[in-house]
Amino acid sequence: MTLIWKLLRRHVSLPQLGGFFLANLLGLCIVMTSVQAYHDILPAFSGEDGFLPNTYVILSKRVSATSALGGHTASFTEAEIADLARQPFARRVGRFTSSRYKVFASIAMGERSVGTDMFFESVPDDFVDADLAGWHFEAGATEIPIILPRSYLAIYNFGFAESQSLPKLSEGVVAMVRLDVTLRGRDMQQQLRGRVVGFSNRLNTILVPEDFMRWSNATLASGAEQGPTRLIVEVANPADDAIPAYVQAHGYETGGNDLDAGRATYMLKIASGVVVAVGLLISGLSFFVLMLSIYLLVEKNSAKLHNLLLIGYTPSRVSLPYQALTVGINLAVLVLAVVLLYVVRGRYMELLWQMFPQMSEGPTSPALAFGASLFVLVSAFNILAIRHKINVINRPQ
Amino acid sequence: MNEISLHNVVPNVFSQRHDLHSDIWGREVALRRGGIYLVEAASGTGKSSLCSFIIGQRRDYVGSISFDGRDVRTLSTTEWSTLRQRHLSILFQELRLFPELTAWENVQLKNQLTHFRPDAVVAQWFDVLGIADKRDSLVGMMSFGQQQRVAFVRALLQPFDFLLIDEPISHLDDDNAQRMSQLILDEARSRGAAVVATSIGKHLPLPYQQTFSL
Repeated sequence: MTLIWKLLRRHVSLPQLGGFFLANLLGLCIVMTSVQAYHDILPAFSGEDGFLPNTYVILSKRVSATSALGGHTASFTEAEIADLARQPFARRVGRFTSSRYKVFASIAMGERSVGTDMFFESVPDDFVDADLAGWHFEAGATEIPIILPRSYLAIYNFGFAESQSLPKLSEGVVAMVRLDVTLRGRDMQQQLRGRVVGFSNRLNTILVPEDFMRWSNATLASGAEQGPTRLIVEVANPADDAIPAYVQAHGYETGGNDLDAGRATYMLKIASGVVVAVGLLISGLSFFVLMLSIYLLVEKNSAKLHNLLLIGYTPSRVSLPYQALTVGINLAVLVLAVVLLYVVRGRYMELLWQMFPQMSEGPTSPALAFGASLFVLVSAFNILAIRHKINVINRPQ
Repeated sequence: MNEISLHNVVPNVFSQRHDLHSDIWGREVALRRGGIYLVEAASGTGKSSLCSFIIGQRRDYVGSISFDGRDVRTLSTTEWSTLRQRHLSILFQELRLFPELTAWENVQLKNQLTHFRPDAVVAQWFDVLGIADKRDSLVGMMSFGQQQRVAFVRALLQPFDFLLIDEPISHLDDDNAQRMSQLILDEARSRGAAVVATSIGKHLPLPYQQTFSL
């Protein structure tokens, strides 16, 4: 091997190999760092301690002027619900059921009484983010448990009560308020008492138990039952960019900024993708520099290679020094790129921790696997290309 | 390998010539293991082409060449490497040495591949051929006659059934030619191998069994 190497190292161009080394190092560093940064930053959008821990998305159909005037229904069909439930991002899908009768609720406040027409909605119990003790209803009972959005209380306390010189109410006080609820439908009237049993951050509606909704709709509702107009979806990962894509594609709407994490993930993916592409482009170009350099080397040494083959050396044996040279360079590039990756990562994680101290580091395995795969791929191609070139030399004239 | 046979082999460059008078081109020729053959030729009659065809370096001929009945055109790269390592050795007319290596390194390059003879034997051959003092000289700095002897030692450093020697003594004095002949005879006999020597005038002094005029 040493004698062969002594022969074949002639014409090895250090500037060319050095150029390849630096270019490939740059490319591989960019590729690996962007893959790593993607995996480090992604948890910030999802997970328990992310920016947006909301794992529930409430969907409705977009109401446009034409659909409203044209009498199009805004309710979801069974097929649409089934399709949604099949999506990989959806863990569970729950339906909002609306009351299909008239509801009038009033509160007696001393001599004054405040009353309003209103409506009820229900969702399956396991979507409710409040204490479920007392969250049930049986036919014949006189009290309806109600859950209000926490924001309603805030609006009353800081908007209405403030301006009307009314007392501010705590959650505990509201729970003691007696609500007179009158239900009217099918020429019948039911007088019940309502009691606020909890407040929800998640569900922006006046919520009653599903048991009650079933009973009341069965008793009082007129007209055919329509599909739900709102759905609540528990998603596996709120940062999944498939969610905004699906919502957009089907013309649905979501409440508030439910989908911001998904959109941010999408942007992160695009940004990482562009950077990875640039890194791969640099790596690809450097690979061509290496191949050209090696081809030139083989070409310049072709007479020697030919003589070695004629005295009995096998093509694989004379290919070996050049293959070892390229694989060695590739390996050195990989090792150095991994070292640089850890250095760069240490720097940017410091910056991230300043902003998000609770953030955990992502796994390094994807970036390392990516780098290693690139090494294997490029080396395999080098090995085959060199062997091919030697075989061409070996071919009889 | 026991036999090299040529069936109506004619180099492409001669294929249009009808006045070809040759014992080899366009004939059936069989070279057998153990034989000692001389191929005599004038310049430009295709002597080196013949060696190139047999060693698998060139294929620009019509007809066919077979080793033990197998057409050489069907041999794989691996089979050629094995043949060149174990069955067929050649002393090229143009030597094909590596000028940037020393005489010793040139022969070691082959011996490291075949592990055929201990260094002491190789040193002894250098001695017999009068190039012992050139052992560590770069081949590029040596005379053609000295280089011829280095190439010859290299050709011996492998097992073979056929030894092709293409104009081996063009630059050798009679004394060295005699010593080379003796070494060839000893080595060929110890292996039961055939020797095929070519010449354009001055023959290597060997007991030829058959002489072909090219």
